[in-house]
Amino acid sequence: MLLETIKKDFIQYKSQAESGEFLTLREAAFAEFEKLGFPTTKHEEWKYTNLKSITDNTFQSTCEIKSLVNELFNASIESKLTANFLVFVNGSLVNELSKIIEKDNSIVISSLATARKNNQVIFNQHFGKYAKVEGQAMNALNTALLSDGAFVFVPDGKTVAHPVVIFNISDASDINVLAQPRNLIIVEEQCTLTIVETYYATGINASFTNVVTETYAGKGAHVEHYKIQQQAGVCYQNNFTQFFQEADTNINHVTLTLDGTLVRNNLHFYMNGENCNSLLYGLYVTDNNDFVDNHTRVDHAKPNCFSDEKYKGILKGHSTAVFNGKIMVHLDAQKTNAYQRNQNILLSDDATVNTKPQLEIFADDVKCTHGATVGELDEESMFYLRSRGIPENMARKLLLTAYAFDIAEKIKIPELVELLEQKIDGKL
Amino acid sequence: MLEIKDLKAEIEGKKILNGINLVVKPGEVHAIMGPNGAGKSTLSAVLAGRADYAVKGGEVSFNGNDLLEMSPEDRAREGVFLAFQYPVEIPGVSTTNFLKTAINEKRKYLGLEPMEATAFLKFMREKMELMEMDKALTSRSLNEGFSGGEKKRNEVFQMAMLEPKLTIMDETDSGLDIDALRLVSAGVNKLKDGERSFVVITHYQRLLDYIVPDFVHVLYKGRIVKSGDASLAKELEAKGYDWIKAEVEQEANT
Ligand SMILES: Nc1ncnc2c1ncn2[C@@H]1O[C@H](COP(=O)(O)OP(=O)(O)OP(=O)(O)O)[C@@H](O)[C@H]1O
Ligand SMILES: [Mg+2]
Repeated sequence: MLLETIKKDFIQYKSQAESGEFLTLREAAFAEFEKLGFPTTKHEEWKYTNLKSITDNTFQSTCEIKSLVNELFNASIESKLTANFLVFVNGSLVNELSKIIEKDNSIVISSLATARKNNQVIFNQHFGKYAKVEGQAMNALNTALLSDGAFVFVPDGKTVAHPVVIFNISDASDINVLAQPRNLIIVEEQCTLTIVETYYATGINASFTNVVTETYAGKGAHVEHYKIQQQAGVCYQNNFTQFFQEADTNINHVTLTLDGTLVRNNLHFYMNGENCNSLLYGLYVTDNNDFVDNHTRVDHAKPNCFSDEKYKGILKGHSTAVFNGKIMVHLDAQKTNAYQRNQNILLSDDATVNTKPQLEIFADDVKCTHGATVGELDEESMFYLRSRGIPENMARKLLLTAYAFDIAEKIKIPELVELLEQKIDGKL
Repeated sequence: MLEIKDLKAEIEGKKILNGINLVVKPGEVHAIMGPNGAGKSTLSAVLAGRADYAVKGGEVSFNGNDLLEMSPEDRAREGVFLAFQYPVEIPGVSTTNFLKTAINEKRKYLGLEPMEATAFLKFMREKMELMEMDKALTSRSLNEGFSGGEKKRNEVFQMAMLEPKLTIMDETDSGLDIDALRLVSAGVNKLKDGERSFVVITHYQRLLDYIVPDFVHVLYKGRIVKSGDASLAKELEAKGYDWIKAEVEQEANT
């Protein structure tokens, strides 16, 4: 049982931890987790997402790093980018693969553990302030037992020239592994930053990743954030991402889920100032018995903000997808524009989709639209292509590729898009 | 080239084609006219291989092959081309990529090497000039956001690219301005070589001023009820369909 391992882990952590603010925070988080327990399907937010296969299993935290991860890293699309790299295996930083090319010394790109020592003030000011633990069991668990993670700090007016790639590998070669990465990204006023958060896995055993990423975007900041999930094997992931936006910020977020046994994404945006833009795009391509759940929440807390959300799915085999998109328009968030779409193509009779838009609107002068579709490939388009001599399987692929690229192309790194498109192509 | 014998088809239990007979020889141009809902588009869709229609009887042979047995893509690769009455928009598929795929799939089927990229582009440019297709159109997604007339012109452009043996045009003239009508006709006439054949479905004589038919047929209630030469189209333009409907009723009563 996972719960017992976790309790032991926490006792062990406490026995070694220095007392102080950080420990107090984590103790409180653990108490919250113990109070809540793992989410079950009885919780409204977890209705379709059964964690039993995770909680009935055992997973261990480990710091051991094998050399084979180098190969995996070097073979990856992401490693080819001109970028800053922070590479983590089972939640621990791999120094030899991590590489920071940013020349501006005022910009910090480091591991979370290092930042807690070297950038204490900033760290304490932001850590745990956006991804709440109250009522959020998985966030509480992560806060209590976080392994390591990425820390990025961009001070006022700076642009980070190259993307920061947070490269996560689950190495389950020997045992079932548990990693709880924790990322903290602080982008101050008028800054620009691109983050690529990516997940791979190796090994015949199972892995469970419970990750939390908090991003603070100061006034006028622009953040590009791309999440790429392609964990092959028996891999479970709970991913919580919280953006906190001050006025005039632009956030463009893309989630691509191309593999994984069970993936639960929780993507939250909180607009704390006027004139914010939040763009949320997602693509999931599922097969076999894969389960992918995207829960998103956009809080329009201030007037004159815009959000655009589009999630698309392609489902094969016996796979299941869940989409739940909540848009909260707060009382004084007048002139809100919020758009949401979820489209699904089922390529198999055994695939299932549960899709639910959830609009909660408390202001009266707002424009919100939403729509969800579940269907097969458009018959008319198929016939049109075939009537020009394009064989059925190729016509299908052309259409699916076009459908998927519509999302992939929201990623503004052309080299990455090109390689991802090849990857998606291969999956179809 | 094309031989249709007593072709019957229905959709959702509704009988639409009630025994069509038509023979199209190489090099011939046949016009098919007839009132709305007569079954003209149904006939063209059945010939192109649309699965929604259930063929309930009859035969269609195309250059000696049983057309009804073939998949839509094989029909196309054997040389059948349908210019759709309502071409679909396909976002994300570029016109260029689509045409390159179509041409090379056809070549593969015929045992030919794929066309080199440069040769393809040159060929495409020629046809674009012929159809006065704007570059902006072919670089966009297939038909996406095209005007009605642009979609029709794109159909004929595709025809010019694929050089089919038999072209079926389903109201390609509808929605075209005078200049586009001339272009479309020029595209067809350019392709005429005494071997290629055309079945032109239209409501208007004006197209037939440019593409002169060898035969004109009237389709009514799923049957060809009258055939004649080019003068029949002029007569229809002048008199409408009532007299033909009356003839059909009378025949039915005797
Ligand atoms: N999917 C369908 N379901 C039911 N009826 C259909 C369907 N498709 C066509 N029909 C009917 O079949 C008949 C023939 O339609 P068709 O489109 O072939 O006519 P048409 O001769 O091309 O007409 P028009 O000149 O208006 O284009 C019409 O009565 C039409 O309503
Ligand atoms: Mg029609």
